[in-house]
Order: sequence, then structure tokens, then C-alpha cells
Amino acid sequence: MLRVRFHGRGGHGMKTASRILGTAAFRSGLFAQDSPVYGAERRGAPIAAFTRIDRTLILERGAIAVPDIVVIADDSLLDDPLVAPLSGLAPDGILILNSANPPEAVRERYSIPEDVRVFTLDVTEIAQRILGHRAAVSAAMGVLSCRAAGIADDVALSAVREELGEIGLPEALIRKNENLARACLAEADVTPLSVDRLGAPEPAVQLSVPAYDDPTVGTPSVYAPGNMPLRKTGGWRTVRPVINLALCNQCWICFVRCPEGAISLDEKDNPHIDYDHCKGCLICVEECPTKAVAEEKEVRTW
Amino acid sequence: MVSSARMMTGNMAAAWGARLSGAEYVPAYPITPQTEIIETLSRWFTDGTMRGKFVTMDSEHSMVTAAGAAAAAGARVFTATSSQGLLYAMEVLFTVSGWRVPFVLVNVSRGLASPITLESDHNDVLAARDSGFLQIHCETCQEIVDSILMAYRIGEDARVLLPVLVNMDGFTLSFTREPVILPDAEAVKEYLPPYRPKHAFIRASHPMAQGIAVLGGFIYSYFRYQQHLAARNALAVHEEAAVDFERLFGRRYGFVDEYRMEDAELVIVMSNAMATRGKAAVNRLREKGMRIGLLRLRVTRPWPGEAISAVLAGRKAVAVLDQNIAPGAGGIFVTEIRSSLYGRKDAPPVLSYIGGLGGKEISTAEFDQVADDLRRVAAGGDVPPPRLLYTGPEAEKLHSLLHIAGKE
Ligand code: SF4
Ligand code: SF4
Repeated sequence: MLRVRFHGRGGHGMKTASRILGTAAFRSGLFAQDSPVYGAERRGAPIAAFTRIDRTLILERGAIAVPDIVVIADDSLLDDPLVAPLSGLAPDGILILNSANPPEAVRERYSIPEDVRVFTLDVTEIAQRILGHRAAVSAAMGVLSCRAAGIADDVALSAVREELGEIGLPEALIRKNENLARACLAEADVTPLSVDRLGAPEPAVQLSVPAYDDPTVGTPSVYAPGNMPLRKTGGWRTVRPVINLALCNQCWICFVRCPEGAISLDEKDNPHIDYDHCKGCLICVEECPTKAVAEEKEVRTW
Repeated sequence: MVSSARMMTGNMAAAWGARLSGAEYVPAYPITPQTEIIETLSRWFTDGTMRGKFVTMDSEHSMVTAAGAAAAAGARVFTATSSQGLLYAMEVLFTVSGWRVPFVLVNVSRGLASPITLESDHNDVLAARDSGFLQIHCETCQEIVDSILMAYRIGEDARVLLPVLVNMDGFTLSFTREPVILPDAEAVKEYLPPYRPKHAFIRASHPMAQGIAVLGGFIYSYFRYQQHLAARNALAVHEEAAVDFERLFGRRYGFVDEYRMEDAELVIVMSNAMATRGKAAVNRLREKGMRIGLLRLRVTRPWPGEAISAVLAGRKAVAVLDQNIAPGAGGIFVTEIRSSLYGRKDAPPVLSYIGGLGGKEISTAEFDQVADDLRRVAAGGDVPPPRLLYTGPEAEKLHSLLHIAGKE
């Protein structure tokens, strides 16, 4: 069986990517199963999706703890300890990463074992060029995962058409996505893994039965005040809003509308953005009446 | 792979079940992880694929009332909910089943508050265990479509006339795509003739009273017992429906699903989608030489006690893995299984486990623990006390979260 785990943020289209692989595998005559997991999702929040492929009936369900292939839609996810996208990746598995950084830099920074094949491609850049905007990277990441799973390119491309049609994309946009997928496949120097792999066994664990705890522990309540700031949602941002105070008329609309409460006012009533928590939704850009908030592409330097 | 199959989620399979059955009235109210079902049906009613009426209601309580009322007028009715929504409708579940009106209610299982969660366990559907609805629990997306067709066939039978809850797990089925073969629409028409009730037919031209008030226990007892007998009739009706289903569609469903049970000395009992993992565990343990099998509960109301005890009697040890918890008592299914075996000389010892609450994974190590205990008991050891399946790494992760929450 091949177990493929996808990581992205709401809006990247990684559920669709997992479905492109599932459909392509199914159309190739294999058994397939795909499923996303998300909580109370918001745009930008981390999501994961799972695709399993085998020649026989699949007797597994739910999350994949020991993936053969990991597909990541944005390299900022690598630094999120709650996402931990590399956890459990098979020591001879494949990592496919949307990033401008070269594979060796990624390998070194995240201490990725030697036998893991690391493939990086700046898909966002190619998407910008072909689609003309920062769009979902589902088609690109979907076909790259197909390549890693040994699915034929033409089947992968027809799965792109099928899945994007399913979510109601207009024909012109589907065509552009097919072009994006082709452009990515042309760059994809990835040796596929066999569907006949046995896969790594689950790590051995001890069992542990909880005992009765004092109610200050054992009831579902939170005592730590203000722990929200600990969750630095700034890492979710792919675009950075920047306020030009020269254009600002101090109407406070951005301050009121920011859903994260990431905009504060200083003693002179000027708005300031807390980039540790601004998640890049760009509502402030949309709402500012004087166009004082500009968008800048977020560049991550290591 | 069968070429006529297509990839679809459990939610999509449920929507197809309603569509193929020709449901003509769908009262709806959204709740995660069920909403995709009613969104799909809403689209199909809007674009004319399905004929009849799709109505958004103000709550699950109103929704189930409307479902019962429409069924009382002789319509084929479908609706769906989950978790808190099912609980909110609890009062009227009992009310409409007492009207003896058939319809299908899909429940997408989700753990109950508190604490609040989205992932699956079965305390929601089991809270409706004694509501008078029949219950069918599904393991695969295929089984969801098929069980909905069977549910109408059984529920609408004049010997039964009861609503049916068809259950699937949230996430592991509701959002999971896998290959599903859609039954042929013409064959479904043969399987499900139009619903023409003789006992409930509210029309403007044909007034009648339903769900009347009765004072005097002897009247009440009579009608309640009628309902019980109707539910018991569903056992025989299910078998007929299963035979016919196999004739038309080639798939056979029993009250229970027996996996590698032929020569099994040890048995794990599970229900719903987690049973898939249980089957993988059985395969792994068999490779190690254990004679073990899995019994999956499918029809749980009516309770097929005789069928279950016939399968389990004579085995060396049985472990019931409940994905539910009755605080202060333990697992719910284990007590029903023990009571079905009571008094039989060849009754095996029955061990009790709680696992998979709120969608918690059940790992290899946890299945191994169950298998070890079974082996020990089969060799003459004492039955261990009921146990929660939980792992060390989970306990560690929990501890760090408690720390963040300000607890020591
Ligand atoms: S983009 Fe603007 S509105 Fe959105 S979180 Fe950041 S500061 Fe707030
Ligand atoms: S909305 Fe624009 S003008 Fe108003 S306070 Fe914010 S930045 Fe200034």
C-alpha cells in the first residue's frame, strides 16, 4: 500500500489534491481511499488530507501516521510544531514541497534522513505566472503526488479535470490549471515509489490508562489566561498587509474589522499590525477607505 | 476494480441513497459532519434531479416532526442529522416512531458535548437506542447506499411501519471517499415499490387523528407493545429484504457481518467504520497464528440476540470493543451481548473494552492488548475488568496540553 499525506492551509486546495491522487489511482485500476481532516476551519488554518492506494481492499481508515509520501503546500508549515508535517515519514519516503528553497537546503535545515527523496518546486511562482494570481495549488500538488505514486501523467491530468470540474471551476480556469499541472510535471524529477510497498510498521507504544484526577485537572476547563497569543497565527500568512500611515485618516475601520484582533492603536491613534498574529486574510486591505493598507508577498528567509 | 464504481464520500453515498429511493420530502437542518448530505440534496431538488420538496427547518426538533408528519401523509421521507442535533430531536424521535410512520433518518455519528468535539463515537445514536427507530450501522460507503434502500423496504413493510436510523461515522466515512457501486435505478424501482400506507394517509379530503392521547395504562400498554412487536417483526422482514437485495444487486447483508469467523476461537466485536481497522488487526493476528475473527454489529434495533448468540456460543473468548461509554456503567453493547448469551452452557467469557471515543485512533498496540487478554482468558485466566484503550504517547500529549491550559 502507498500512504500519502497532504499538508496545507485552508484555501490551498490540498483536499482537492488528495482527491486528484485518489481519483487518478482509482482510474488506474487500483483501490483508493481519500479523506481530509479539519477542525473548525478558517482560511489559512492548517489542514491535512490522506490518500491510500493499494491493489487490494484497503483495511485502514482515518489519519496516516506513517506516510510513504508527504506533500506540503507551503514551506511555512514545516515550522509549525502543531502541524509537524514530516512526522512519521518513511525513512525511504518522498517529500514533495512547494518552496523556492532547493532540496538540499530543506534537507539540512530539517535534518531529513539521507534516503528520503526531497523534491522542491516553487509552485506558487509558476501558478502566479500561469494562472495570473496566487491561487489554490491543488492541481499542481495533486499531479506531483501522482508522479511520486507512479500514476501515469495522462491519468493524473484527467483526474485534475474531473476533480476541478467537480468543485465547479469554469472551463477556462480548468484549462489553466491543466497547463499549470503540465508545467509542474515537466519539472518533476521524482522516481516513484511502488504501490506494492509494505510500508513502515506503526511504532511500538506502551498503553496507559488514565486514573481519576483532581477536578481542577480532570474537567474540561482552561485556567491559563490569555493563551491565545501563544498560537502564532502569523505563520499562516502568504501575503502581508502593510499600513502606510501617510495615507491613513485614523478612521479605525481596520482596527474594528480585523478578525484576529491583530491591529492595535497607539497613543496617537495610529493603527499598527501585530505580525505574530496577523494571518493575512487581507480584510483590512479590503476595508480601508483610503487604500492605506498595501499587500506585499510574504517572503520567508531562513 | 469494478468499472461501474465511482469514488464518493459517505455523505455523498447517503444523498444517493435518498435519490435512488425516490425520497420526495426532505426536511433539513445543517450540522457538521452531516451538512454535505443536505447540501447535495438541496442542489438535486433545485435543479429538478429530484422531485418533491426540500424544506429548511428551524431546528432538528422541527425537522423530525416535519419528517414524521409528511410520512403520516404517505410521502417517502428522508432526513439527516448528527450528534447534538439528534439529541435536540430526541423528544420527537419517540413521538413519531409511536405514530408508526416509516422514513429514513441518517445519523452521522459525532461525539457528544461536553467537551465539544467533531469526530466520531456512538453515544449519539445509542442515546436513541430505545426511541422505537430501527437502527442499521454501516462500515463502508457502499453499505450506506445499500442500507438506505433496505431501510425503506423494511420500514415501509406493513408488518413493521417504523422509521429507521441509518448510522455512519463522521470523518472516517462521512468525509472519506472510496469506490461505491450505485445500484441501478430501474432495479431500485422493483426493490422499492411505491409507498401506499393503509394506516396513515392524512389528506385534506380524508381527515384522521394520529398520535392520539390515551389515559388508562391498558390502552397505552397495548399500543406500546404493538410497536415492540412491529420492531421484532423487522427481523424476519430484514431477512426477506436482504435476500431480495442480493438477487437484484448481488450484495448480501446480515444482521451482523462475520469476518474470518469460520474457525475462530477468539472474537473481537465492533461496530461501524472502526471495524475496518479491526479486520486489519484480525489479519495481522492470524498471520501470527491466532485463530481470531471479527463480528461486526450491523442491525442493532431490532436486537438480533439469537443470531448473535448463535455466532458467539462455543467460542473460547469474546472481546466487545464499545466505541461509546455509559458513565458509571461502561460499554453499552457489551451488556446487550452478555444478556443475549445468558443462560447458554456454551457461552464464552465476554471481555469489555472502551475505545475510539471522540474519534481516537485504535492503534496496533491496543488491538494487541485485546488479543493478549483474549488468549489469557481462553487459556483459563480470569476475565479482566473493563478497560479504556489509551496509549502512553497519547497520555504524554494530553499532559502537555493540560499544562498549556494552566493545569498541573
Ligand atoms: S490581514 Fe489585516 S485584517 Fe487580516 S489578520 Fe492581518 S491585520 Fe487583521
Ligand atoms: S482603515 Fe485605513 S484609514 Fe482607517 S485606520 Fe485603518 S489604515 Fe487608517
